[in-house]
Amino acid sequence: MIVPLVHVLVLAVILFVLGLACVLVWRTNVIMMLIGIEIMLNAVMLAFVGGAGVWHEASGQVFALMLMALTSAEVSLALALVVYLHRRKNTVNADEFSEMKG
Amino acid sequence: MRLYLALILLLPLFGGTINLLVGRKLPRRVVEALACGVIWGSFAASVTALAAFRSPVKVEFASWLSDFDFRAPISLFLDPLSLSLILMITFVCGLIHLYSVAYMAEEAGYVRYFALLNLFVFAMLTLVLAENLPLLYLGWEGVGFCSYALIGFWYTEKKNADAGRKAFIVTRIGDTAFGIAIVWLFQLFSTESIVELNGMGFLMPAGVLTALGMLFLVGAMGKSAQVPLMVWLPDAMAGPTPVSALIHAATMVTAGVYLLARMLPLIGTPVVLAAIAATGALTAFFAATCALAQRDLKRLLAYSTISQIGYMILGVGAGAVSAATFHLLTHAFFKALLFLGAGCVITALHHEQDIFKMGGLRKSLPRTFWPLLAGALCLAGIPLTGGFFSKDAVLGTVWEHGGAFYGGLYALGLVTAFLTSVYTFRMMYLVFGGEDSNHPPPHPLPLTGGGEGEGEHAGTTPAPPLPVQGGGRKAVPRLMEYILFPLALLALCGGLLDLPSYLGGGLLDRFMTLKAAHAEGTAAEMLLQGLAGAVSLAGLAVAHWRYGGERRQARLAEAGTPSVLTRFLLHGWYVDDLYRLLFVRPFERLAGFFWQRVDVGIIDAGLDRLAALLGLSGERLGSWTTGRVSVYLLSFAAGLALVLVYMVWLLAG
Repeated sequence: MIVPLVHVLVLAVILFVLGLACVLVWRTNVIMMLIGIEIMLNAVMLAFVGGAGVWHEASGQVFALMLMALTSAEVSLALALVVYLHRRKNTVNADEFSEMKG
Repeated sequence: MRLYLALILLLPLFGGTINLLVGRKLPRRVVEALACGVIWGSFAASVTALAAFRSPVKVEFASWLSDFDFRAPISLFLDPLSLSLILMITFVCGLIHLYSVAYMAEEAGYVRYFALLNLFVFAMLTLVLAENLPLLYLGWEGVGFCSYALIGFWYTEKKNADAGRKAFIVTRIGDTAFGIAIVWLFQLFSTESIVELNGMGFLMPAGVLTALGMLFLVGAMGKSAQVPLMVWLPDAMAGPTPVSALIHAATMVTAGVYLLARMLPLIGTPVVLAAIAATGALTAFFAATCALAQRDLKRLLAYSTISQIGYMILGVGAGAVSAATFHLLTHAFFKALLFLGAGCVITALHHEQDIFKMGGLRKSLPRTFWPLLAGALCLAGIPLTGGFFSKDAVLGTVWEHGGAFYGGLYALGLVTAFLTSVYTFRMMYLVFGGEDSNHPPPHPLPLTGGGEGEGEHAGTTPAPPLPVQGGGRKAVPRLMEYILFPLALLALCGGLLDLPSYLGGGLLDRFMTLKAAHAEGTAAEMLLQGLAGAVSLAGLAVAHWRYGGERRQARLAEAGTPSVLTRFLLHGWYVDDLYRLLFVRPFERLAGFFWQRVDVGIIDAGLDRLAALLGLSGERLGSWTTGRVSVYLLSFAAGLALVLVYMVWLLAG
């Protein structure tokens, strides 16, 4: 493998932190939070694939494929929820939905 | 003998149990017949036991309590003492049962009444016949319970229920001492058999025996209403009149005398004897003075009972068990007679009990008057009645002891005899003397000062506030009056049971064979009896001088403004108030302290604080759940960062 594992992991960490920052910072928009989650998931997938390349293990790549399927399912569900939430309060600001307050 | 003893005990138990369980389903006549029948059956069994009696016999029926060395079987002991008592108990109780049939004729709760009455007799017979102390204690407590239930029979009125509770609690004080004595005796002698214990006294030093004797004495004080535990008996008048007769004459209060007489061979050290005698004499004197001023007929009789029991205890204290028993028997007859007669009077006067509002009943109630006069003669100890001989037997044995101490007790007893005669005839003059027309006292007083339960007021037959006029008499059931005659006969002739030696010697004395022949000569004995007779006649004279004829009116007029002394005696030397001050108040204070300060102030408040703290912290913690996703995410990330830092720290370390 040409690319060393460390580089892959550093890229994955950067991606993860970016996704996390996106989720934490962009709370006025649920869709932007979903995008952040997607980026984080991609970072995880990248780490899996990198590992699989280094140790010549197929399971890492299989797991990445499974994650893709999982992510697509999650996104479809999440977007449906967003549409529903938007219909209820006519907003996508996450902080508006605080009915679970203790 | 086995069969007789079993029958004596089981018949009342059977009657009581049947009445308790299915009495409500049975017709009234059946319940009454059952209750009376079992007692008379028991009496018949007692008589056959008397006929078959040769020597003291111990019969064991079954094992009851048995553990390691401890044995308390159901075993009965029949000796002259217990035999004479069961004969008296079954006979007098039989009469009282019959009387109750008429007295409670309008009462709705008759099933409960008769069941309790039978159980009462059963408990008393168990007490008398028991061969070991635990069994005796069973009867002892059974008597206590039944008296509680019967004194508070009309429990819907608070003062009656209070009187029942008072009787129960005050006697419980004595019972505690008795219970301690029982346990201690087993620890000392490893046996509970009364017969064995009585033969083992020499094994222990006198100090231990004295302490034991004192415990028994305290037990007897509670049950027999002796100073200082006598306060319950006057209040016990709240029960139906036959119950008063039962408690005073045949059962309950004589239990203490019996216990002391029974255990005397064991506990009879000089100190204990002196304490017993002093208790008896003091009680006799105290109660006689109180009886002088009472206005409530039943309360007066209650004080006279306390006084007479004092004589019995005095007799036991003088070591004369047979004299004490003799007085116990005659007292049972004449006190039952007096109470049942009082019941007739009270019934006739629509539950009026104030003797100052009575009068002239001599003519309107002749069949009650004559037996009651016989009872009064006995109580006062007028010569040649049963009460005279028995009281004199007690006083005679006290005199025989000699010495300053017993001499003083004898003098006290003599003074009491005088007072007894005075208050007895005061009662007779007030109730039966004078004219039938009514003389209400100008200022009606409360009957008692204590405000505690006194008097009787039938729950189902509320006493109409009728003025007690000549025409207002209620007919007394014939049965109630006929019961009085056999009792009057027995009371008058009771002296024949135990005549003094110059008249042929005592039947009972020989039967008991517990006491040596009189040490005093005949002349001294006659002198003592002459003195006692003179004293009682003097009492009669004083009563006549105070209350006879026209002077009765003057006394009635005075009644509105009682002197300080009269008030003092009317309230029973203010002993009730003293106890309230000494014991009840501090106890209430203490209870108040524990309630207000400890329970409410510390425990409750502590729990409340804790609950408030938990609630507050819950609120604080709850405010963390803002419901805002962003906050959760942020804290999630912060947690993650913390974990990462920790892991790095671990790796670096």
